[in-house]
Amino acid sequence: MGRFSVRSVLLGLVAPVGALVFAALVCALILALTGNPPLDTVDAMATAAQRPRTLVNSLNSATQYYLAAVAVAIGFKMKLFNIGVDGQYRLAAMLSAALAGAAFMDGVPPFLRVAMTIVAAMLVGAAWSGLAALLKVTRGVSEVISTIMLNAIATYLVSYLLNPARLAENVPGSNNIGTRPITEGGQVPGIDYPGSTSKIFGLVFLAVLVGVVYWFVLSRTRFGFELKATGLSESAAVASGVSVQKMVVWSMLLSGAVAGLVGMPQLLGSSHSYSLDFPPGLGFIGIAVALLGRNHPVGMAVAALLWGFLDNAANALDVSGVPREIVLIMQGVIVLSVVVAYELVRRYRVRAEQRDVGRALGRTKTLEEVSA
Amino acid sequence: MRGVRLTAGLVALGLGLAACGSDTAAPGGGPGTPAASSIKLGLAYDIGGRGDQSFNDSAARGLDKAEAEFGIDIKELEAAAGETDAQKEDRLRQLAEGGYNTIIAVGFAYAPALKKAAADYPDVKFALIDSEDAQGPNIANLVFAEQEGSFLVGVAAALKSQTGNVGFVGGVNTPLIQKFEVGYTAGVKAVKPDATVQVKYLTQPPDFTGFNDPAKGETAAKGMFDAGADVVYAAAGGSGNGVFKAAKANGRLGIGVDSDQYNLPALADVRDVIITSMVKEVDVAVYDFVTSVKNDKFTAGSHVYDLKAGGIGYATSGGKIDDIQGKIDEYKAKIVAGEIKVPAQK
Amino acid sequence: MSTESAAGGDPAPAVELSGITKRFPGVVANSDVDITVRAGTVHALVGENGAGKSTLMKILYGMQRPDDGTIAVAGEPVSFASPADAIRAGIGMVHQHFMLADNLTVLENVVLGSEPRAGVRLDFAAARARVREISDAYGLGVEPDRLVDDLGVGERQRVEILKVLYRGARTLILDEPTAVLVPQEVDELFGNLRDLKAEGLTILFISHKLDEVLAVADDITVMRRGTTVASVSPREVTARKLAELMVGSALPVPELRESTVTDRPVLAASGLTVTSADGRKVLDDVSFTIHAGEVLGIAGVEGNGQAELVEALMGIRVPSAGSVHLAGADITRLSTKRRREAGMGYIPEDRHRQGVLLEASLWENRVLGHQTRKPNARGPLLDRRGAKADTQRIVEQYDVRTPGIDVHAAALSGGNQQKLIVGREMSGNPVVLIAAHPTRGVDVGAQAAIWEHIRRARAERLAVLLISADLDELIGMSDTLAVILRGRLVADHDPSTVTPEQLGSAMTGAGRES
Repeated sequence: MGRFSVRSVLLGLVAPVGALVFAALVCALILALTGNPPLDTVDAMATAAQRPRTLVNSLNSATQYYLAAVAVAIGFKMKLFNIGVDGQYRLAAMLSAALAGAAFMDGVPPFLRVAMTIVAAMLVGAAWSGLAALLKVTRGVSEVISTIMLNAIATYLVSYLLNPARLAENVPGSNNIGTRPITEGGQVPGIDYPGSTSKIFGLVFLAVLVGVVYWFVLSRTRFGFELKATGLSESAAVASGVSVQKMVVWSMLLSGAVAGLVGMPQLLGSSHSYSLDFPPGLGFIGIAVALLGRNHPVGMAVAALLWGFLDNAANALDVSGVPREIVLIMQGVIVLSVVVAYELVRRYRVRAEQRDVGRALGRTKTLEEVSA
Repeated sequence: MRGVRLTAGLVALGLGLAACGSDTAAPGGGPGTPAASSIKLGLAYDIGGRGDQSFNDSAARGLDKAEAEFGIDIKELEAAAGETDAQKEDRLRQLAEGGYNTIIAVGFAYAPALKKAAADYPDVKFALIDSEDAQGPNIANLVFAEQEGSFLVGVAAALKSQTGNVGFVGGVNTPLIQKFEVGYTAGVKAVKPDATVQVKYLTQPPDFTGFNDPAKGETAAKGMFDAGADVVYAAAGGSGNGVFKAAKANGRLGIGVDSDQYNLPALADVRDVIITSMVKEVDVAVYDFVTSVKNDKFTAGSHVYDLKAGGIGYATSGGKIDDIQGKIDEYKAKIVAGEIKVPAQK
Repeated sequence: MSTESAAGGDPAPAVELSGITKRFPGVVANSDVDITVRAGTVHALVGENGAGKSTLMKILYGMQRPDDGTIAVAGEPVSFASPADAIRAGIGMVHQHFMLADNLTVLENVVLGSEPRAGVRLDFAAARARVREISDAYGLGVEPDRLVDDLGVGERQRVEILKVLYRGARTLILDEPTAVLVPQEVDELFGNLRDLKAEGLTILFISHKLDEVLAVADDITVMRRGTTVASVSPREVTARKLAELMVGSALPVPELRESTVTDRPVLAASGLTVTSADGRKVLDDVSFTIHAGEVLGIAGVEGNGQAELVEALMGIRVPSAGSVHLAGADITRLSTKRRREAGMGYIPEDRHRQGVLLEASLWENRVLGHQTRKPNARGPLLDRRGAKADTQRIVEQYDVRTPGIDVHAAALSGGNQQKLIVGREMSGNPVVLIAAHPTRGVDVGAQAAIWEHIRRARAERLAVLLISADLDELIGMSDTLAVILRGRLVADHDPSTVTPEQLGSAMTGAGRES
């Protein structure tokens, strides 16, 4: 069996690596066509990669992207498209920020306070995705549609709640508005990294934990098996006694709960308040990272780090005169080409395996052998 | 959204290459005391950057003026949608590390980042536009009393309105734009206490497309005209274009924002409906700041631009409010004298 | 063979296929196929269902491209990207299912797609003349101006043939042409074929009806498991010999040995009714009891409620009335999972949709449907080691031909997938086995093995429900036979006395004793 596994590892790497190389070539071409020497870009990226602050920021971005990707991947594993991770984490971050920042929380012991914040965020995220699950199992509404709608509703809801009359207060002397800042006891301290003014999010460990749990649940539990089976073939899952409706509800709830975590590293580690400049759009980055990492716990981690690095190298590109938009182009091309590459590799793999099986079992008898 | 970002990126790439190409990177050379001849100016834009037809462009005009006049070394960097404070901080630090000793951060979103970065570069002079949230010995806070200017155009709207029904189109529902709305409403009511003010925001944060979506602006304004309004104030950045288009199509009037929009080439088609504009001179503030650093007259702390100090006002280009200018100036005098206190919040 | 004909001065073969290989996921449809069709002959291609005949003909007609191999027409190597290419090379296909527009005339149908033009106008007069000419030349007796709607099956078939000839075909492929014909029509068709041959045309005749083949063909090629296994002359073989070539061994016969039926009821349905979304009763008041050691066969034309019956029994579909009892306990409200845990094994009708996860490994497919039970699970956790070990056992005991248990199910042939399913469903001490079309689309070897496993299940006192379209299988493998028609069980037959013909007429409602 060794032959199979070595090849499958190689095949697993061919698609993402090929997509990266292809994306790099496309970007080099675009840069060259627009009069920017591609080597300058490589140089600027290399410089960025040596700056501790960029590395720390990349890791911090990756932490959030990874959580978002896991949230998306839970759905992807059973062919559910939770486009609503974005709205789920924003609403969750806003409400849990309001809770964590509330005056009565100042007296709560730090650990409990952080735990309450995180649990609240997971509950809000799960509740919001749960609405989409409910609509799907009771009314057959496609989760793609409903989660997109729920994103818009979350935006309005957050806008409504982010008001001095409700859960927010004006930031003095600023045009910003946010929830009451979380005092020190409710924050998660960062980890110093030599040479960097930024600290590593303390909740980077939460992301690691989520990744481990994700891996364990999917590959080692009955629930994970049923999830995967439903994704591979709903009809086969039904015939095997899997309640697809139950799986839809559970996977959406879990996806939403993990989505609720997406905003936590930033909220508890850096912003300490949900305000107008709280980073939006992480849910959509999560979709790209999940695609790139093929829903694999390690693959998504690598993809998240890559994505985080690209995002954080953009400033360095900008400073050295390379248009920062090249990062967006690169990310876009990577996602497009990786999707195509995965499909090509998948087809190749199916054929190769059939060939192998055929070879292993011997060919069907030839005419001469039969007549003999 | 990613697709939009990508498309936007491509477009921006196409449009912005010339500008980027002309940048001269100047690595090395630590920050020193800015002498008149050695100002190196770094500018960090808010999302949208140069070319947003609004806030960022206004800052860019001040920058261009300073560059033309003083011939200084300039680096412009732009924010990406969805970025964190850490990334904004990194941007400011990269400028400081790159030897830029005068750094302007455009937009309140930079406050937390600037607070952290400025402390580590005491010799670099920072300016923060639209926020007093980050204070420090090397930070100048450039803030505006948008409500006062909005009050005056509110007065103009009320005086020009036949129906006693006017409108307000805000780009994005943020406290900043709410300041415009509150001042405008107060101005309208000061003239006609029983007038109706229709209010509509095009998008909710974190969706900031409301500043750059003329189609939405047009729809919103058309709705207001249909409901009886005859003057609409567009505090919506690039979306104002749509508001004016609707005004022209319906034979009604519009009021511009931020700069004297009657004179903007991009709005030449619809300028005849723009009776006035609320002018917020970010460019003046930027230029003043650079001048102060150049002349070694930098002062930290708040620099408030209001009707009294200048930097806020209303435009008269086109002569459409010549008949009521006297009235408006009466209100202006009262505000300057402190007789009228214009509210900034609902 | 071709060298011999060349030496004999014969014309080049009309069609020569060599080394044709075509793979689909899960199946190798054609593997290294070689056929030489002499010009001016009727060449029969025989083989069981699923032997790869249709795929091969689709390749020859340009509907599919081979992964490997070459095609030569009249000695010239060709490559067809579409049927249009094949037609241009003089190859025409008469499909089993006619492709005629009912509301057009024969003439219109014939010219459809290759309309005769005189300038911009359609020149029907010329076309009509040509259709008459062809019809007379080959004795087809087709009247150009009749409406297709008014024609009988045999006449429609002749229109199809004429259509192909009109397009200039010199080689005709007839895919199971007799399947739709009554015996008199078959004779007429054969007459036509001889006429065509006499005019120098070449016929490739696909069939699995051996008597017909022996009656009409000049050469016979036998296909089995996707490849050509023999090329024989009808004068040298008997139908029996041909059949054995087709299946590759002495024919397996579906039959049961001594009765094992007990009087202990295991699975009972009473008044089972399933209503479709539009309110129609797709299963209507079905009642039966299967005892331990008994095989109940259900015969019926497909779509008469068999699928709904199985789904209602397995808890996949909620019945609108009636109940299901398993060993005396009411399981009508139990979920599919609980029913499976209670010992109901299930071989689904559609292997690829319901039976396996094509893109999962064999051991994961072993877990499927048994994910809550030993040796696959320990509490909420998956027991990977246990599942793998047990998969290995199934692979060995049930003769699943695979290089290992980590390959995807898609890599196996249909028969081997089915053997894995049977092995899985026989695991965990089942008390009931519901087998829907268990041997559909599998090769003869697998068929015999699956029959043997069903016999063993019966011997182990399982209650077996067997649903099949293969009447020989049903008659041979059942202790009791029922016929399902429009959702109702309409007749019981004794499998030891009933003939396929009687069963067939009961299935269509024709032979229903009132």
